[in-house]
Amino acid sequence: MIDVRDLTKSYLDLRRGALVALAGVSFQAHPGEVYGILGPNGAGKTSILRILSTVLRPTSGQASVAGYDVLTQPAMVRRQIGFVSTSTAVYDRMTAWEMVEYFGRLHGLAPERLYPRMEHLFTRLQMREIRDVLGAKMSTGMRQKVSIARALVHDPPVLIFDEATSGLDVLVARALLKTIAELRDQGKCILFSTHILREAERVCDRLSILYRGQILAEGTLAELREQYQQQDLEELFFQLLSQRDGQSGSPAPQLPASRPRIAVR
Amino acid sequence: MSWTNVRLIFLRELRDQLRDPRTLFTVAVLPLLLYPLLGISVFQVQQSLRERPCKVRVVGTAHLPPAPALVQDGQFAVPHPAWPLELEIVAETRPSQRDLTEAAQHDLELGLCDVVIVFPPDFAEQLAAFRRSQPSAAPAADAADADDAEPLGADQVPRPLILYNAARDASNVAMQRVERILETWRQTLVEENLRASQLPVTVVRPFEPQPTDVAQEQRRRAALWSKILPFVLMVWALTGAFYPAVDLCAGEKERGTLETLLSSPAARSEIVWGKLLTVMTFSIVTALFNLASMIATGTFILAQLKQIGAASLSLEVGLPPWSALVWLTLALLPIAALFSALALAIAAFARSSKEGQYYLMPLLMISLPLMMLPLLPAAQMDLGYALIPLSGLMLLLRTLIEGHYAEALRYVLPVSAVTAACCWLAIRWAIDQFHDETVLFRDSERFGLGLWLRHLVRDRQEMPTVAESLLCAVLLLIIRFFAGLMMPPPTSWPQFFTANLIVQIALIASPPALMAIVLTRRPLLSLGLTRPTLLRTLPAAALLAVLLHPALSTLAHLIQRLYPLSPAVQQQLAPLVEHVARQPLWQVLMLIALAPAVCEESAFRGFILSGLRRTGHRWGAIALSSAFFGLAHFMLQQSLGAAVVGLILGFLAIQTGSILPCMVYHFTHNALTVLMGRLPTDPGAWPLPLKLILQWDADQAAPLYGWPALLVATLAAGALLRWLKSLPCRQTSEEWLQQRLQREERRPAHELAA
Repeated sequence: MIDVRDLTKSYLDLRRGALVALAGVSFQAHPGEVYGILGPNGAGKTSILRILSTVLRPTSGQASVAGYDVLTQPAMVRRQIGFVSTSTAVYDRMTAWEMVEYFGRLHGLAPERLYPRMEHLFTRLQMREIRDVLGAKMSTGMRQKVSIARALVHDPPVLIFDEATSGLDVLVARALLKTIAELRDQGKCILFSTHILREAERVCDRLSILYRGQILAEGTLAELREQYQQQDLEELFFQLLSQRDGQSGSPAPQLPASRPRIAVR
Repeated sequence: MSWTNVRLIFLRELRDQLRDPRTLFTVAVLPLLLYPLLGISVFQVQQSLRERPCKVRVVGTAHLPPAPALVQDGQFAVPHPAWPLELEIVAETRPSQRDLTEAAQHDLELGLCDVVIVFPPDFAEQLAAFRRSQPSAAPAADAADADDAEPLGADQVPRPLILYNAARDASNVAMQRVERILETWRQTLVEENLRASQLPVTVVRPFEPQPTDVAQEQRRRAALWSKILPFVLMVWALTGAFYPAVDLCAGEKERGTLETLLSSPAARSEIVWGKLLTVMTFSIVTALFNLASMIATGTFILAQLKQIGAASLSLEVGLPPWSALVWLTLALLPIAALFSALALAIAAFARSSKEGQYYLMPLLMISLPLMMLPLLPAAQMDLGYALIPLSGLMLLLRTLIEGHYAEALRYVLPVSAVTAACCWLAIRWAIDQFHDETVLFRDSERFGLGLWLRHLVRDRQEMPTVAESLLCAVLLLIIRFFAGLMMPPPTSWPQFFTANLIVQIALIASPPALMAIVLTRRPLLSLGLTRPTLLRTLPAAALLAVLLHPALSTLAHLIQRLYPLSPAVQQQLAPLVEHVARQPLWQVLMLIALAPAVCEESAFRGFILSGLRRTGHRWGAIALSSAFFGLAHFMLQQSLGAAVVGLILGFLAIQTGSILPCMVYHFTHNALTVLMGRLPTDPGAWPLPLKLILQWDADQAAPLYGWPALLVATLAAGALLRWLKSLPCRQTSEEWLQQRLQREERRPAHELAA
């Protein structure tokens, strides 16, 4: 469902030249599983997810969602995904209902499909009481619910959650994790990035540990525990990160040779 | 692109803006309040000026002649308009005139009086003496009287002092009124003098000019409004566009909703069009509201002022003609589109609304001079003005409002072309800004000139960037402009030869060559100096130049006929024409054909085009590079022709993957023009083949291709261009991506739904 191969991303910095955010990341995620990307701040999680949501373009490498290439078929990719991130906010001057309706219509849903779907979502996410509340008047938890409803309105096969629980209180965060588990059970392919180890332990079927733009380890929780002989995820995480820091003298990873600028048709 | 999505985005943004009280205030409330408030204050000022009497002090009334009377019963006895005047009369100038003058100066400064007239003690006697001394007064008088009266010169006439304070408006107004009253009094004196010497009044008024305004009232009103309205319209269209644009781009970035929209299925172009239409709507509505409010208030207030007889208002006032409003509304569309797209692109660049507000000033600073230019009295619709963005449109609008339709028709095409091109560029720029992740996710970074220069060299890429090629183009234009001002006009052929060669090598070829070496990793590739993909394209380029020459030279003739050269330019060009016809052929060819072919091609089709291609829009890059190529020719009539040749050269450069074929084409084209310029003026002396394809155009005194030759050659050129189009061409990675994306966008809707 999600296929990422040798993905690299570098940003230009006036002072330091090209900064490598992703240095050749590869992984696959399948329908009916929650794939976790676990990493400290600045590991490159958001870069991967932004590339998958076609908001950023990769420097090199390939990524596809449901068989559509993120670089050349971005519109098709965006139809397959629901993207919830801390940086995808809710419109201040729109009510919850208007906002979800707007995105449903942008996805091309006909009214006879859209409105029953919205009624269903508003009931399921317990959003009936905020239906006519403007975004500006909502609490963080309410906004997150609206974002999730917005991402689910077109019933996409792939859902991407980027640090989706940050800023939420325990109750709302728990409810979100529960929703994610339900969505997985419906057969969705879910990409879940976090830096909170307990959350990863709770919902992820498989996960990769990302650090400085590279995947240090990948597998199910059980596989990781067995491979590294470490039961505690936090210890395992810390161990991997310190190993990586010990290995490389120079912290900044290098990009593979850049793709050619000129192609002959 | 799906217009359903554009409509959805447009309607959402519109509702969003309408729910924002700030926008509503600037768009609707401000204009409705602003003009009535301004009107009221103008009205009040006029009222207060009207009601405040002017304080006039007349010193030395005792020295005035008894008749005709200037002052009587504490009032001016001379007929004058009903001005409120307050007279303070000081009959005597004793003890001393000097003391009185000093006191007057003091009082004027304090504002105790507005103007002081001081008549000298012997004023009446002097007047009488002056009257007696005039020779014309003598014939009837006896000899004794004539003896003691030496004729007095004009500089000896009595001079009463008028003291006023130019730093105070009230004093200025009082001064003007007193001057008019004294003038009338002087006229009466003159008439009495003439009567005394038995001369008719017509002696001093042999004729009376009678100004007659032939303009109809409609036209007079049009002339007044035609200057004000386009300017007001443009300023408000810009202001009305800017604030919504900042809120819709920078504001959304700030609130974090932009990424939500970017990850929705809406394509970037749909987002930009949706936002653009919203911004345009606000721009149009703001401009129309302001216009309506201004016209309504202006008409009302001016009519009121006229009714109460404000003195200084001799203007014809009334509603602007209806046709003016129609033209203004029509012109508002492209104006709003242009400003909206510019504002959107600039606002997309800003990280926050606050940063966005800062960019309004530079945008105003660039647009205002262009809007003010047509307000100059000397500004008249001509080809030069027509090609200046905004100014051309404003002048065209003025011409239309004034009702000179035939004149306007001549310039509709260039003005629309320039405006459309600017709109297209601005919209393209806005869309590109939305594609550019470095713009959308821009972080604040420490900036330093040293850092930036180091970055330019350290992080240089294989080919020039878009910004570098634009910089190069602008630099070329600026350098050439100033060099043209500073270089003395050449007087002889050797001077002419050297000067032009220096311009070509030092000012056109060197800047891009240097930039290619310093700023790119592959300078030769950047300049297009590579082997063409097919060597056959070199002779093909020469053949194409020969085949297209009839069409292009006919086009040049048409342009000259439609927009003739001014006599001054013709005079400037005369030596060049002379040189081309007389000097040794190889030298002329080297200067006019070879040097431009090498130098201009490496600049415009080399560095500039290869940088612009990185936008991913091949034809856009060709069009922009040829626009710069045209501009670099500096003479308008030449520029238009050159821009068209630029399109062909740009196409050639891309299809053959090298600028060598462009050089061959450019050389052949210019060489043919030189050879045609050297043909004998007598067509009888031409060799037979030439007689078949050329004819003599007596109007322009130049040879011209005949219709059959033109038609055959153009058709053959079309076939050759088709062959060139079929050649495999090198694509930049940006062009490859754009092509794939466009193919994807054109995918039918039912396929997407599935």
